[in-house]
Amino acid sequence: MDRSEATVSTLGEMPSTRRRWPHALVATAGLALAGCAKNAPQDTFRPAGTNAQNIDNIARPVFYIAGIVMCIVMGVIGYIVLKFKDRGQDIPEQTHGNPKLEIALTILPAILLAGIAVPTVATVFSLSKQSDTQCVINVTGQQWWWEYDYEAGSCGGVTISKPIVAAGELVIPTKTNVLLRITSRDVIHSYWIPRLNGKRDAVPGRLHTLRMEADKPGLYTGQCTEFCGLSHARMRQAAVALEPADFQKWVTNQLAPYVPPATDSLAATGEATFIANCSKCHQVNDIKNADGTPVLSDPDLYLVSGVAPNLSKLMDRTAISGWTFDLISDQCREKLWNAKPADFGALYLRGVTPDCFNEATLRDWLRNPPGMKPMYVNPRNLASTGGKYRGMPNLNLTEAQIDQLVAFLLERK
Amino acid sequence: MFTTGSKLFLGGTVLSTVGAIVYGASVGGPEGTLGTIGLVTVAVAFAFLAGINFLSRDGNVSAADPGAATSAAGQPPVGRSLWPIAAAVGVAGLAVGAVSKPVVFKVSLIVLLATIMEWMVQGWSERASADRAYNEGVRKRLLHPLEFPILATVGAAVFVYSFSRVMLTINKDSGRWVFIVIGSIIAVAGFVFAGKRGMGTATAAGIVTVGALALVGVGVVSAVQGQRSIDPHPEITTAVCLGTAPPSVIEEVDRKASQRVAAKSSVIANIDLTDKNELIAFNYGQAGVVYHEITVQRSATVHLLFHNRSDTARRLTVHLGTFKAKDGTAGAENAGCTTAVAKDGTAFLTIKIAKSQAASSTPYRLTVPGVDGQEIKVLVP
Repeated sequence: MDRSEATVSTLGEMPSTRRRWPHALVATAGLALAGCAKNAPQDTFRPAGTNAQNIDNIARPVFYIAGIVMCIVMGVIGYIVLKFKDRGQDIPEQTHGNPKLEIALTILPAILLAGIAVPTVATVFSLSKQSDTQCVINVTGQQWWWEYDYEAGSCGGVTISKPIVAAGELVIPTKTNVLLRITSRDVIHSYWIPRLNGKRDAVPGRLHTLRMEADKPGLYTGQCTEFCGLSHARMRQAAVALEPADFQKWVTNQLAPYVPPATDSLAATGEATFIANCSKCHQVNDIKNADGTPVLSDPDLYLVSGVAPNLSKLMDRTAISGWTFDLISDQCREKLWNAKPADFGALYLRGVTPDCFNEATLRDWLRNPPGMKPMYVNPRNLASTGGKYRGMPNLNLTEAQIDQLVAFLLERK
Repeated sequence: MFTTGSKLFLGGTVLSTVGAIVYGASVGGPEGTLGTIGLVTVAVAFAFLAGINFLSRDGNVSAADPGAATSAAGQPPVGRSLWPIAAAVGVAGLAVGAVSKPVVFKVSLIVLLATIMEWMVQGWSERASADRAYNEGVRKRLLHPLEFPILATVGAAVFVYSFSRVMLTINKDSGRWVFIVIGSIIAVAGFVFAGKRGMGTATAAGIVTVGALALVGVGVVSAVQGQRSIDPHPEITTAVCLGTAPPSVIEEVDRKASQRVAAKSSVIANIDLTDKNELIAFNYGQAGVVYHEITVQRSATVHLLFHNRSDTARRLTVHLGTFKAKDGTAGAENAGCTTAVAKDGTAFLTIKIAKSQAASSTPYRLTVPGVDGQEIKVLVP
């Protein structure tokens, strides 16, 4: 290489290095500013209940201390790297051991850890407390949605005369110590509503408990946090906190008897279509055949998990299929997100109204469920499950059948 | 142009590629895909090795050097080889296995393939240079990383398998003594080895070899003898739970049936039979609240813990409903239960109810046979 080549090379590198700095700064700023997003419903740093607040009381100081320690360590490393960079100087005198420094560097972290351990252990015990439970709800995970069984008994002073089965949205009374008993019907899942508490694994054959309490009415969302198969990313969940009076209304509505569609209506045809196509897996409570016998679903014959969402009160929920697809329009969703606590209950209890109904999504779902959410439902690949599905297969419904089912389901509230 | 080593691996590449094509075309489904991927992977590995050999001209010997053909390395090696015998055994085993048991065929195939590989590498290494010691070192460097782990694994497998045959053959009582004696011998041998530091390698190897051969010998004898008769745990049937089975069967179940054990944290409810013969439930998570009905999720495996505080041995029975048969006829009631539990004893009961309570013509409930008027409703929404 001659001198002119060397010069060109050197000049060529300098602007390149300089150009990288703005890029790095923009990327860093972007990452930092992303933490300021207001529309972050799963933000663990915005606790909305006693249990989450207890966790936050530990996590936040630890985060700050760890951040300071990290800055100090990185700063010292950076200083040493730059200051003592090899410039051909003599190697300095080598020493071994410094008892004072080593003792100090052993005691300091030990004090830090002990200081963190004491409140952590106290918090762990407080989070596992059960003696003040006011409501027990069974939470059962399966690919790829959550079911909620409300036991017959009392829930925060509200009497539940017979068990309620819901899906997707966990409805709880505010300022009530709810105990979730979490398990799974197929593979391991993990239940997490970040603003209300930490996460808890759902393991088949085991029962894990998780306290849940919300201070104010509102919608608190979460996500399955244990990889559970093809549509793990589409296994979401939401907790809906209602004032006790509103919760009473919700319970009353859940226990309300089935109201058949008006004779000769499109919904009535939809009822027959539902019985013929959907009721093998989905239950609508108290629905009857034409001869008056009850229609009972047998999901255990068709599904690995043995259950499908109960659709008795489908239109009381705001989303379907593992709380992935909205049953309400974007505008109504925004209203619900932004509702003041005092207004939230009334807004939520309206359920899916005709003006809010996201009909297109429900139609798309009925037309081809695996097309919207990947599931193990290809009839040719079910040998390993003995012919049973993991999820909802495509029923190849006609557009007329979809019209009928939409009309029927719209009345399920 | 091509070196000896690269030819060997190129041959392997071609063979694996042809094998992948033939296998992929002849075997369908996931097995075919997996096998083809495996063979293609082998072909790529061989091609990679062939490339390395080609580029490095087989290491430090120039295969293209005309003088090499006349050097000592080019002359036929003088020495013994077990590979012809091993290959003959493998071929004979293939023939025998083809007409007898598939396992003989598979083992012989493995022996034959291993022999071919060892033979080829040995043949190549004996011509690697004019230095015989170096040639032996080349062979070791290439094959020892494969030979040692495989032989160690095979040795451990033989050891474990022999041991397991012995344990499966001897009965529980004599087994206790046999293993006390074996353990003692091993302990004494350990002390001898530790104490006699001057013991020669040959002596130590001889003792270990004798011990290993003895174990394998006893293992073979045990395998021929066959497994001891193992009394299976009797099954807890509906008839036992409903008390319709013969008393002798019920008695045997209580004495020998497998007791299910689960972690207490997984109990959905504690079921207590009090000293006043009252049946009550404590819902897990609601301490102190007495229930006479429990809610159980459909199709979920849940556990109950039964505590018998009465004076008499009792069992907890879960009535699992009555369903019509497929032909429409009325079916019999299903049930499950614990074994009989003595006073102050506990037992687990694991249940999984697939149908909702509405599907059954009789209610789901928990009872204790012999205790009238006491039951806990099991609600399955």
